[in-house]
Amino acid sequence: MTPVLELDGVAMAYGAVEALRGVSLTVAQGEVVGLCGDNGAGKSTLIKLIAGAEQPTGGSIRLFGAIADFASPRDALSKGVATIYQDLALAPRLPIYQNVFMGAELTRRLAGVPFLDKAAMRRAAKEYLARLSIDMPSVDAPVSRLSGGQRQAVAIARALRWSARVIVMDEPTAALGVKETRRVLDLIGQLHRAGVTVILVSHNMEDVVAVATRVVVLRSGRKVADLSAQGLTAAALGRLIVGADLV
Amino acid sequence: MRKVLGLAVAMAATLLAQDAGAQGFKLGVIAFQMSSETHARVANAVEAAGKARGWDVTLLNSRGSMPEHAAQLDNLVQSGVGGIVLAMGKTVELDAQLAAAKAKGISVVTVMSGTSPHTLLDVAVDDFAAGAKMATYLLNRMNYRGSVLLQRYEGNVSTRARGKVLDAVLSENKAVTVLDAHVMARPQGWREDVKAGMEALTLKHQGKFQGIWASFDGQAFIIDDILREKGVKKGDVALVSIDGGQETFKRIRDPNSLMTASVAIPFEVMGSRAVEAMEAIAVKKTAKEKIVAGPVLMVDTVLVDGSNVPADGKWPW
Amino acid sequence: MSDPAGRGQHLRRALELYGTVLALAVLVVVFALTSDAFLRTANLLNIAKQISFLTILGVGFTLALAAAELDLSFANVCSLASVAVGGLLTVGWPIAGAVAVGLAIGAAFGLANGVLVTRLKVPSLIATLATASIANGIAFAITGGVAYVGRLAEPFLALARASVLGMPVLVLWTAGVVTLAQVFVATTRPGLHLVMTGEAEAAARLAGIRTRSMKVLALALSGLAAGLTAVLLTASLSSAGPTIAYDFLMRGIAAVLLGMTTIEPGRPNVPGTLVGALMIGVLTNGLTLAGAPYYVQDVMLGVIILGSVGLSASQLKRAAFGLGH
Repeated sequence: MTPVLELDGVAMAYGAVEALRGVSLTVAQGEVVGLCGDNGAGKSTLIKLIAGAEQPTGGSIRLFGAIADFASPRDALSKGVATIYQDLALAPRLPIYQNVFMGAELTRRLAGVPFLDKAAMRRAAKEYLARLSIDMPSVDAPVSRLSGGQRQAVAIARALRWSARVIVMDEPTAALGVKETRRVLDLIGQLHRAGVTVILVSHNMEDVVAVATRVVVLRSGRKVADLSAQGLTAAALGRLIVGADLV
Repeated sequence: MRKVLGLAVAMAATLLAQDAGAQGFKLGVIAFQMSSETHARVANAVEAAGKARGWDVTLLNSRGSMPEHAAQLDNLVQSGVGGIVLAMGKTVELDAQLAAAKAKGISVVTVMSGTSPHTLLDVAVDDFAAGAKMATYLLNRMNYRGSVLLQRYEGNVSTRARGKVLDAVLSENKAVTVLDAHVMARPQGWREDVKAGMEALTLKHQGKFQGIWASFDGQAFIIDDILREKGVKKGDVALVSIDGGQETFKRIRDPNSLMTASVAIPFEVMGSRAVEAMEAIAVKKTAKEKIVAGPVLMVDTVLVDGSNVPADGKWPW
Repeated sequence: MSDPAGRGQHLRRALELYGTVLALAVLVVVFALTSDAFLRTANLLNIAKQISFLTILGVGFTLALAAAELDLSFANVCSLASVAVGGLLTVGWPIAGAVAVGLAIGAAFGLANGVLVTRLKVPSLIATLATASIANGIAFAITGGVAYVGRLAEPFLALARASVLGMPVLVLWTAGVVTLAQVFVATTRPGLHLVMTGEAEAAARLAGIRTRSMKVLALALSGLAAGLTAVLLTASLSSAGPTIAYDFLMRGIAAVLLGMTTIEPGRPNVPGTLVGALMIGVLTNGLTLAGAPYYVQDVMLGVIILGSVGLSASQLKRAAFGLGH
């Protein structure tokens, strides 16, 4: 399989604090990589680098074989990497379809002036959501009326709108109930079947082993495990994270 | 939403419950700035005099805002009042609105607002006469001898007129000399300006002056406080000014204050004279020329000193 | 809706959306009953003219607040621009030049506010209070505290005093500004990006929206609205003073807050602001026609502001203290 994303010796230091001490990682097309680790292991930092929110102090990131120096989240997005943050993804009081198209709205020209093409956006938003086969009220409803799982779907629909090849999800199931968590995991499964590469950051080991094809464990800024999720149990993963049982 | 709606309904009830059918003469009163004591005194006197005649009086406050001032005049013109009184109004700026009022046959009488071709008359005091009163009183008090300090303000027609009359009076009394004068620069921050200026002058000429002339009471209060701090006693220096409010009278009564006399402008009288003129012209249809020959109806001022100072809350008229 | 529960919910929703509009309608009916003059065309046009300044300034404030920033400088900037226009006309500048300078002053202060807020990270509450003070200082420096009064050229006065086919030109200016602003916010990408910046700044930035530029744009438009109001105000009153617009600060904000109770409840919105300004205009005019004294009007307005602030406090807090960023 072609490597979609390659990290080579990526390091990140905030002054004297080394958050990442040379992490190398290869993600292949269509993989669902679970990124695990305790608080302070370096997960969030790694996510920020992949999302373009920060630039590494060492090492390199390649996207589809080419060096990717993401200048900003916008840059990363336009190159095909969409990151879905836990709380910051949506504008709750705005309608669903505007959230799906946030920052990449469709327009049509009237007398040479570009106006929002709301009809087209509503239609397309419905299609994206239908592709995720998730129930949704009218796309004109504000996001604030949606459940946590539905909100994740809206955020994923936005990533689809950007034709993202890689979707990074930061704690998508945090603060969700059992049923809602199930829905989000189903969504990730759908993305996987559609051939989208997913990097899933989660505290919840049950969730990770349920959907990931591969698991990467970080500890103190280093990669300490990188293995197939096949047959991996949540308990075993837990031991890997705390370092009780190194493979 | 629902709260606002409820409020509107409550207000509806209140307004409808009011006697909407008052058939008397309808008078609108606009004060430019009710938070200014003088404006409020005129406007309240107009309201009282109007109500005493059984008129339907609407009292408005422009809060010192020109656009509001204009809008209120527009609203009164629309409301079908018979007459409008402006207290310290801005007749030049309101030219268009006053023309509209005149076109609708509404009588407009103003108080201390300047004259306008669209108004009947302006009730005012004669600043020259008032200035002469305070100047001659000061000199008389000093037995036409000695030295004075002056606190002037040239940025206003009235205070400038008072100053000019003072100069005329002084020019005929060579035994009284002007030691020094502080000229207030502008209305903004005038208190600090007067305080700094007069502190310097009273220090520089300590013990060498027998009289102080201030172009309005607000300045005199500041000078009074400065002198009291320096331990100057009542009678040592004659402090004379002009305007005459309750604060002025309180200081004249106060044995510790230096305030000697003030030419009191009868704002209450001006208000009631405005209503009298309104009644004569707009209600009784007396020709305006029979009330006053020119555009200004002059009201006399009252010099108040220890001999005639009114009791607390009372007026000398 | 066949089931009564559903109908109740629809009614509640309608009341939430249009309660304030309904209250306005009630006011109109009450005033029509209390004064014969109220519903006359001349009086209705009179109200429409009177609310024009409030509405245009309010629309500017609405755009700033939509981007989650407060613009407390609009009234003083308006006064300064008015003084500049009046002063330049008095010394013989051509009308177009003086008007251009007035608009430019408004826009420049707005831009400065934007730069202070986005580049120097000064909270807009502080930044715009500071620029308001600077504008006030300059206005007093230019005039020495004295107003330019009267005698401005007729063609200039016509900018605010003329009528087109019986419609006062002030009303047309206002309608134009409201329409443009609403079209901008509701149907263009930059307009929507401005709203998204205010609604969810972090999300908008992560979605690639240039949130800082949007905030600068919002504050610049608020400044421009102040400049335009200054031109119209100067022409309307044929005078310009360093405090000519100060009274619009509280009322302008009140109109916007009132507007946030309707159309798009909880959010600053242009049609809502128009409703808010109309509410204030109708209230003031109607109470005057009904013979209510000024203190009743002040109390009434205060109560209505309190009511609306209670309903729209969250957006204000966010703009004032940067909560939720």
